[in-house]
Amino acid sequence: MKRKIYLLLLVIGTIVPACKKNLDVPPPNIVQDKDIFTSTSGIMAYLARIYSEIPMEDFKWSPTTGFKNFFYGSPAAITGEAISRDQQNSTETFGYWADAYSLIRECNYFSETLPNYASNFSDTQVKNWLGEARFIRAFTYFALAKRYGGVPLIDKVLTKPGASIDDITASIEEYKVPRSSEQATYDFIAADLDYAFANLPETNQKGRASKYAAAALKSRAMLFAGSIAKYNNINLTSGADRLCGIPAAKATDYFKAAYDAASLLDGKFSLYKNSWSPTDKAAQAQNFANLFLDPSSSENIFIRQYHYPDAAHWYDANQIPHQLWNGGYSAETNPTLDFVEMFEGLPKNADGTFKTTDASGHYLLYNNVTDVFANAEPRLKGTVICPGDVFKGQAIDIRRGIYTGSSAGGIDKLVPEGSTSPYPTTDLVTSATDAQTAYTLPDGSKMNPAGLSGDFTSSGVAGCISGFTIRKYLDPNLPTANVTTNHSEQSWIEIRYAEVLLNQAEAGYELFSAGQGATYETTALTDLNLIRERAGATPATLGDMTSVDIIRTERRKELAFENKTWWDMKRWRISDKEQNSRIYRILNPFYSATAGKYFFDDRYDERNSRYTFDPRWYYEQIPASAIAKSTNLVQNPGY
Amino acid sequence: MKKIIYSMALSIAAIVTCSCHKIDNYPAPSETLQGNIVNIRTGKNVQSELAGNNGNGTRIKLLEISWSSNPTPLYLSGKQDGTYINTKVFAATYKMTAEGAFVPMVQTDGSGQTTVDQSQIVKVQGGTTTVNFKVDPFLEVEWVGEPVLNSDGTITVQCKVNRGTTDPNFQQDITDLWLFVSPTEYVGNNNYDPRYSTHVAYAGTTGDAITGNTITLTTSGGALPKKDLYLRIGSRINYGLKQYNYNEVKVVTVK
Repeated sequence: MKRKIYLLLLVIGTIVPACKKNLDVPPPNIVQDKDIFTSTSGIMAYLARIYSEIPMEDFKWSPTTGFKNFFYGSPAAITGEAISRDQQNSTETFGYWADAYSLIRECNYFSETLPNYASNFSDTQVKNWLGEARFIRAFTYFALAKRYGGVPLIDKVLTKPGASIDDITASIEEYKVPRSSEQATYDFIAADLDYAFANLPETNQKGRASKYAAAALKSRAMLFAGSIAKYNNINLTSGADRLCGIPAAKATDYFKAAYDAASLLDGKFSLYKNSWSPTDKAAQAQNFANLFLDPSSSENIFIRQYHYPDAAHWYDANQIPHQLWNGGYSAETNPTLDFVEMFEGLPKNADGTFKTTDASGHYLLYNNVTDVFANAEPRLKGTVICPGDVFKGQAIDIRRGIYTGSSAGGIDKLVPEGSTSPYPTTDLVTSATDAQTAYTLPDGSKMNPAGLSGDFTSSGVAGCISGFTIRKYLDPNLPTANVTTNHSEQSWIEIRYAEVLLNQAEAGYELFSAGQGATYETTALTDLNLIRERAGATPATLGDMTSVDIIRTERRKELAFENKTWWDMKRWRISDKEQNSRIYRILNPFYSATAGKYFFDDRYDERNSRYTFDPRWYYEQIPASAIAKSTNLVQNPGY
Repeated sequence: MKKIIYSMALSIAAIVTCSCHKIDNYPAPSETLQGNIVNIRTGKNVQSELAGNNGNGTRIKLLEISWSSNPTPLYLSGKQDGTYINTKVFAATYKMTAEGAFVPMVQTDGSGQTTVDQSQIVKVQGGTTTVNFKVDPFLEVEWVGEPVLNSDGTITVQCKVNRGTTDPNFQQDITDLWLFVSPTEYVGNNNYDPRYSTHVAYAGTTGDAITGNTITLTTSGGALPKKDLYLRIGSRINYGLKQYNYNEVKVVTVK
């Protein structure tokens, strides 16, 4: 046993001399710069990682849990585009900060290290790669700026090569970089994107940035900055820096920058019209749906690719109509009537709301459930599945219930206009779940009380809750067995040409209304009508261009469910007006057993889920953990 | 022999952990800091909602400048009636301001020069320290008469909304007017029953027409439940965080 003590001493004796300096060699099993920056495959590995970290609000973005997440719910349910069982009134709550600065550091490290190894590659290669790193850094800074306003601008690796922990601790105060002004942050983004535009290639591999991706992103970011300058009312200053808000006088400069950046793409991309026909509305709708799934689309500017099984998402499992589900989840995104009403070709009241009753207050009756949407704008049909629309070869069966009361002399509204009360239980057959008992109609035939895809009255059952379900991005060729978690692999289109046209139109209209010249207005109109033509909507005239709202509405229709609307509402500073104790409206289809016809009831969301946007949310709360680490950070107002 | 190994390990542990022995407890804070947020023109307290995660009301900002010129701010939530109190404050020197639906107490111009600074440097030493703030609210909301219980079970109230501050930089458009109804006394924009509360939204400059006039508002949603209900009016302008100005809470027993 004594031997053990000696052994212990021996171990101690061996460990202590190991502290000698000359043994301080880099571990051979850890990848170092010379392994990465000397070969194209090493560079590709580095780039692949930083691309994968780009903070884009794609299929895997949830406002409450973050980027790169697998979640149940629908981010569209914070904007009023849709309602969802698993997403209520909220802002982003996950506090994107630390990951952003890790990514910025990786971009900076790449930009600083690559030139040392430039002799291994051609000049063009080095130039392009440096452009990509700048593009990703700009993307990340824009993700921060649109959340927090002005942020610390780190344009180099702060620690020196080979710095020890002691060195870093000694100069820790230097690393507590304070926030720059919001204006400086946007100028920094613009400069990075100009650099990226100058250095990136005309075209690039799918999923990687070309110079036009940089120009398109610039038009988006500058439009954001211009909107803040024009519409923001929140002010936060620290020293001479305005951390929240941009002087109103800068609005025109930013709108011009957005307009000019968008103009760089003229003639380089085109709206996707592969299966489009000027006369066939069904083809136009199909074309709009295809646009999100065709990898060869001429409209794609910057995409993120997914691939099963190593990089998958589960958009289809979240969104599939209930009757096509695979037993897991379904119908998370239920478009609201408020959203659907924005489109053309629907029966409308004088105030623009959906018309469900005749002059005497009785429901309008339809022979087929699809009749009411027969003339709907094709883009609506490409975005949303309306009751009875065909998907994967099946008519999507959405019905709230069967009305068994008398239809002689017309059917009165089930609940009064504007009521939030539940439906009466008399004269109404409904179903709590998808296990239904068919109701026998007067002619002896049988009909389920609820549609195969809903609406079910039990809130725990994954059925439709608004009368609509989503079509955009839904893959019609995915076998049902694969409509499950981690099996979807359609690409996310982060930037497409339609958005660039809308950026240009909006910036153009803002410039025109600021007195910068009528040509801006005509360009805006031309852009708008390109979008409308492809959508199958009525072209606008100069006389229609009475306010910027015409372009904003177009944008909300075109880019719906692409996770852009939340940021648009915020930069227009209209979120708190739109969401002020608001309940969104839905459209419930019913079948009248005695009349043998369908009718529709427009009403408030039956869950009475209310939305209120707290004006503090225009600038998100900087995570307390970030301020604890870097005490010079000034928190945003109200937190 | 095993014992020797154990005792060695034990003595090492004893040597290592003895440094944890020092008593490092700091006495708990015990001083009281309290006061009122007062309308500079009327002398009345400026009504508010509760502040914090679930409210956007008046709060007191404390910068403890005894040891740092750039400390992380501490905030004390104000009460609805325009008072605040905290009985667990560390004795120290604080730079204090109030934030709420009134003209900011610290303002800077475009070049970062501080143009207005009404913050107070306060030494909290022992016992109770009272610090009042005189502020210039955006709007002044007042009751006119008493709430009336109607025969159909609703309540009708009358009120007036006037501009508070005369500074045109803080006279943005009035955007909202609410009759908030709640079953608890903590009624306000952060806590109300949407079934019975009444909301009027104004677009553009249309809201400015309500100033000076007696406004009549009635609760929504038909007959009210038979219990004590708390009511107040809130209104706000399109400035900054769009905080509400309120009048006093009134309780009505619905029978």
